[in-house]
Amino acid sequence: MKIESSHEVKQINTVGPTRKSVLKYKPSMTPVSSKQYADDVSLLMVLLDTNPLFWSSTAAPLSFSKFLSQVISFLNSILLLNQLNQVMVIATGLNSCDYVYDSSSGPTNQRVEILLQKLQDFVVKDEELNKDDSVDGIGSSLLSGSLSMALCYIQRVFRSGSLHPQPRILCMHGSQDGPGQYVAIMNSIFSAQRSMVPIDSCVIGSQHSAFLQQASYITGGVYLKPQQLDGLFQYLTTVFGTDLHSRSFLQLPKPVGVDFRASCFCHKNTIDMGYICSVCLSIFCKHHKKCSTCGSAFGQPQTSVSTSNQKRKAP
Amino acid sequence: MPQVRIIAKNFMDMVASLPAMKLDKLYENAFICEAILRSLPPLAKKYVLQLLYIDVPVTASSLQEWVLADGASKHRVAVDRLIQLRVFTEFVDRKKETTYLLNPMFQMNLREHIIHGGVLPREPMAATITVRLPSLEDLDIYAAQQWECFLLHLINSAEAEVTTKSISPSMMKVFQRGLLSQRDKEGSRLTESGFQFLLMDTNAQLWYIIREYISNSEDRGVDSADLISFLLELSFHVTGEAYNVNTLNDIQRTTVKDLADLGLIKLQQGRKESWFIPTKLATNLSISLSDASSRKQGYVVVETNFRLYAYSTSKLHCEILRLFARVEYQLPNLIVGSITKENLYKAFSNGITADQIVSFLQQNAHPRVAERVPSIPENVTDQIRLWESDLNRVEMTPAHFFDDFPSREVFDAACDFAREYSSLLWEDSKKMRLIVKTEIYGHMKDFLSHQK
Repeated sequence: MKIESSHEVKQINTVGPTRKSVLKYKPSMTPVSSKQYADDVSLLMVLLDTNPLFWSSTAAPLSFSKFLSQVISFLNSILLLNQLNQVMVIATGLNSCDYVYDSSSGPTNQRVEILLQKLQDFVVKDEELNKDDSVDGIGSSLLSGSLSMALCYIQRVFRSGSLHPQPRILCMHGSQDGPGQYVAIMNSIFSAQRSMVPIDSCVIGSQHSAFLQQASYITGGVYLKPQQLDGLFQYLTTVFGTDLHSRSFLQLPKPVGVDFRASCFCHKNTIDMGYICSVCLSIFCKHHKKCSTCGSAFGQPQTSVSTSNQKRKAP
Repeated sequence: MPQVRIIAKNFMDMVASLPAMKLDKLYENAFICEAILRSLPPLAKKYVLQLLYIDVPVTASSLQEWVLADGASKHRVAVDRLIQLRVFTEFVDRKKETTYLLNPMFQMNLREHIIHGGVLPREPMAATITVRLPSLEDLDIYAAQQWECFLLHLINSAEAEVTTKSISPSMMKVFQRGLLSQRDKEGSRLTESGFQFLLMDTNAQLWYIIREYISNSEDRGVDSADLISFLLELSFHVTGEAYNVNTLNDIQRTTVKDLADLGLIKLQQGRKESWFIPTKLATNLSISLSDASSRKQGYVVVETNFRLYAYSTSKLHCEILRLFARVEYQLPNLIVGSITKENLYKAFSNGITADQIVSFLQQNAHPRVAERVPSIPENVTDQIRLWESDLNRVEMTPAHFFDDFPSREVFDAACDFAREYSSLLWEDSKKMRLIVKTEIYGHMKDFLSHQK
């Protein structure tokens, strides 16, 4: 064995220049199995807005049953595209959220029945959780809760094994934004951005949703408010049906103008100008002695500009 | 050394090459439409879905507007594929504008599928009748065993257990056609393609065998379109569920028997009924040949001292490793070997390339080392490639040698003539000798005779 190895060493020396050329030609090994599947295997999380106050009001441009039939056809088409595609539906209610449908479990020929049954159970349960005091107007559904649930499921998928599909979140929303959920929604958006999960938004209601505009802008998703809702299926397959890999080659709707206004942490009002804690960047509408999030103490408010100028002039 | 490669052609390429009438008839089956949709490139899938509910022809320019400049080539590839499979029909109207229309049969089937979800033509049998249904792991083990046995039988190895007697010798001959060569004295030997076949991954091997099976079907009197539609339908069944054999027609029954020998299907007999259970090999039929689909467990660890440890007990793996490595010990759960120059030279002379060996080792890397980048040490891969280039150091070109020129002018004229045809390989002006490629030997002779 020893003799053999020294012979091999000699061999390498004589083909010295060749070795360099071989190494130049094939520099490094490309890993064969990458973390994610190549191609277009995707995991689609759909967050459905089931706020009964929105769907029964005049702001809803189409009935819930028509909406649901278009969405179910869209889900079927996603599952048709690839054997390994997965779809997960989370219902966003007024007081709670729940996982309603998982395509990786259950028989494939009874999808619709299972989905409808679970949706029915969820809506009944959600209504029971309604507190006695009535909500003015439409009220806002619990978007922050469903976003968090979607992100938790995606994290579980990331840790599940060596190969996993590319996840993305599609938000089908109609209700107004609840300023009280601002903090939680922004947290979910930033964690989605860090995990590189795009959040697409499809807004059904009459007004634009500032939260979803920000979400799609920050995470690199698509925001769309379809004009003609009879053709919702066509909008869904054309814009939201593309997998992440192909999106780099396609022209998708760009954000027109994003409303970046924040809401203050103390009263949950939307404000344009306010005070910010320099430690944790929480936003307040009026001056506080102490930051409520991180507990750092603030100094006296700067009352006049001239006094500060005088201070600077002194060496 | 001639490098022959088996091109593991996609099943869909074969479908695309069917004549137009047969292809249109194939599209009447909803499952084929689904399988073909799944095999398209991603951009093509999107176009099909977009046009699913549009009944009027769509201009090519409006389809192109969707794509950014980077994606123009992918767009072209996608559209060509759709036209080749006759999913898109292209019309050029008087204004020289091309428009596309989706195949109406295809469209209708997909619309039905989207609205109702896929419904199989046959239901799984009730659990009361099917007793002793094997678990999924047992089914996988069974499939792997059958497939291995079949492969061993195919390469006529002495270790093959003869349990695959039911595949008729003529069928085996068909499969062996491209892979073995018959020699009168020595018995059959593996050809170059045979070696490359062994090193491909299971999905590619499966496709090769199925393709041979289908192209042979015409000779046996079975319509290839029917066979293709049955195979594609099979891939939509649920792994592990039992389906009644009575729901199959005669041709399908013989097909099922053949497939059982290959390990795609397990046949079981109850008291009155008999049923078949598709294994994972069968349900993976509709996934196209991409790296993502082969997810089986690797078993090979390669160390920097060129030693090879394969955690496997299968004889097939041992045979494959023997192709390019020296197997030293075989333990109850481990095969120990080392990659040596002699074995690699033998492999190269059999027609295997270094790339195939390296990709085989990479694809079958043990999970413990698969996560590492690179999964095989670089010195091993570089050395394999160097040893391969050792055998390629000498390049041979057929040539002719010219000597004994009467004068310098003739010699120079001959040199220039050869240079014009870029066939001059070597010249020696002192001794007036010349070597030119064989292709222009005739012209050279004429030229020189004119010179005289």
